[in-house]
Amino acid sequence: MKEDEQKAGPEALSPAWLRAAADFWGIMAKMAQGEAPPGKASSSQEDARPPTPEWGQSALEKWPFLSFLMQTAPVSPDSFLQGMETLPEVFLKMARLGWEGYFRLQQQWLEQIDKVGQGAEAAKSDIFGRDTLKAWTEIYGQNFRQVLSLPQLGLARVYQEKLAQATGAFSLFQEAMAEFMQVLYLPVETSLEVMKARLEELGREGNLSDDFKDYYDMWIKILEGHYMTLLKAPGYLDSLGNILIASGNFKVARQELLDDILKTLQIPTYKDLDELGKEIYRLKKKVFAKSGKKVEKPND
Amino acid sequence: MEFVKIPLDRILQKMADHAEKMQDRLQKAKDVLLGSLDTEIATTPCEILYEEDRVRLKHYKPLSSTGPTLKTPLLVVYALVNRETLLDLQPGRSAVQNLVKEGLDVYMIDWGYATRKDRYLTIDDHVSGFMNNIVDFIRRRHRLPGINLMGVCMGGTFSIMYAALYPQKIKNLITTVTPSNFDTDKGLLHIWAKGIDADRITEAYGNIPGDMLNIAFLLLNPARLMIDKYVGFMENVDNKTFVENFVRMERWIFDSPDIPGETFRQFIKDCYQRNLLIQGKLKLGGRRVDLQKITMPLLNIYGRYDHLVPPEACELLTQRVGSKDVEDVRLDTGHIGIYVSSKSQKELVPKIGRWLRERDKVAREGRKKKDSAAPGTARKVTRQTKPPSARGQKGTAEGKENTRAGE
Repeated sequence: MKEDEQKAGPEALSPAWLRAAADFWGIMAKMAQGEAPPGKASSSQEDARPPTPEWGQSALEKWPFLSFLMQTAPVSPDSFLQGMETLPEVFLKMARLGWEGYFRLQQQWLEQIDKVGQGAEAAKSDIFGRDTLKAWTEIYGQNFRQVLSLPQLGLARVYQEKLAQATGAFSLFQEAMAEFMQVLYLPVETSLEVMKARLEELGREGNLSDDFKDYYDMWIKILEGHYMTLLKAPGYLDSLGNILIASGNFKVARQELLDDILKTLQIPTYKDLDELGKEIYRLKKKVFAKSGKKVEKPND
Repeated sequence: MEFVKIPLDRILQKMADHAEKMQDRLQKAKDVLLGSLDTEIATTPCEILYEEDRVRLKHYKPLSSTGPTLKTPLLVVYALVNRETLLDLQPGRSAVQNLVKEGLDVYMIDWGYATRKDRYLTIDDHVSGFMNNIVDFIRRRHRLPGINLMGVCMGGTFSIMYAALYPQKIKNLITTVTPSNFDTDKGLLHIWAKGIDADRITEAYGNIPGDMLNIAFLLLNPARLMIDKYVGFMENVDNKTFVENFVRMERWIFDSPDIPGETFRQFIKDCYQRNLLIQGKLKLGGRRVDLQKITMPLLNIYGRYDHLVPPEACELLTQRVGSKDVEDVRLDTGHIGIYVSSKSQKELVPKIGRWLRERDKVAREGRKKKDSAAPGTARKVTRQTKPPSARGQKGTAEGKENTRAGE
């Protein structure tokens, strides 16, 4: 069964899906050119007329403007349609990367499921998807980050670059967050194991309590102890540092993106306000220093 | 594998009993939660006498019924983290109310909520700016050369800086749970702050968001503050007084103004990472903060179980200042409990009242006899001797103090 699943992995499945997707886009492009989709040959005079729909016509009319923006595309409708035919390839490439990532993740999950029942040790290493996280980090680093760091071209280059940067920073923040949460979950895991051992010990001694609250109190004390150890550990401190930096980077990238939108709408950006704030701050200091007086509003 | 024999029948019986009680409790809880709850905080009457940007000065008049008032007013400086309402959390357990009852003329700084424009404000702007303006205002109002200053936590650190820079304006200095020696690994904040890239965070955020600080404080003890605290709440959800106190504490805990970016950057780098203050190397506005200039009487109060500002971060101060009249008081409590626990209410404020009254008396007598010696000539350390076991494990005591209102 496992072999079958592996056969049905990215190598086997993705080409089929990709072919289907490519056919769809091909058909769409041909429909726009006035050709009938395969299997639906035109029979009548009416059918033979170019059936370019309204949306297609409108898109064709707007194409010169779009091509001007992109500065690379040709102006003629034929070339536009050729461009449309190449667009799917870009989507398909991205989709393929996604599929590959998905299958790798799926493989990790399947391996984890296999481990269930192989004892506490195996489960301990995977119960919260530590390997899954590692796999995702790998996939992201190997594939998506590369796509996002592709050099951008044309008039909209700067904006695209900022978008890619914000997307990348967001992914890194998510990654740091997932890692941090995983580290934070460790004491829960360990405390449950200690609790289990403690219960076994109490059971052997015949000292088991019949009050559930006693077990809760015991667990919360153990958990607190484990947290106190973890919160000083170098691994935790690294993770904490990472998440602070990653969230800061994401905030900066997001803000830059937002600033561009605000600029377009002619609304002052945070950067503008900060500069103004700094200017007022300096002026205030100068005024205080020169006048020797304080701006105050005594009510008495 | 060895199987443990758990008395399942008895546990189930207990659970059944518990379910019945729970049903009853939930019925009562419904009445409590849907009824009128008094969860207001900071209810002691006060007037706003001074405003500057976001900062306000609150004035609490002394109660005339409680006997003679001290001539010298007391200015309380709270931290920039959270709000000064902690000192006036609920009637009957309000440090401010008790100070007023002690016959003190109390002023308290409300730092307000920092906005984006405040991101460039430095520690110096707070100390030599806002604080100095307020001290001058009170001095003018009372026609006095100096006033009494009491700092709380980070506000205490600011007060130390202020007293070192403007010693002539401060008659007596009181620091409560105030970090002055940052080179310790006893408190988690000290450990975490050492590894923080303060520059990067400040550049990214401008002001440090209050919610970021809230999360950091929750992470100091996740088991107690995120789980046990709310389990405790559910266990007492039918107790109106408990619910009211709990909600008051929740209102205070999560009322966290943002911290001005530059102040945060400087506090982390110069204090937590370089520990410049206690070494007398800290500079504010180009001036060195020399602790030897603190020659006025100093009362330094801290909590034995304080997990935010551990005793190690507090107790060096009295050895480094220039004053000969110093006293350390270590109370068996934590960072928050020192102001809100019923036990501390009976210890902290009366101690401050006594200490100030003694110095007020000494100062008056000193004026009569010009040749009198300076008040107090020896260092005094008062420490409670109750063994820690009396309060349970250290971790437990620390954790609970933040979790259950009124504990």
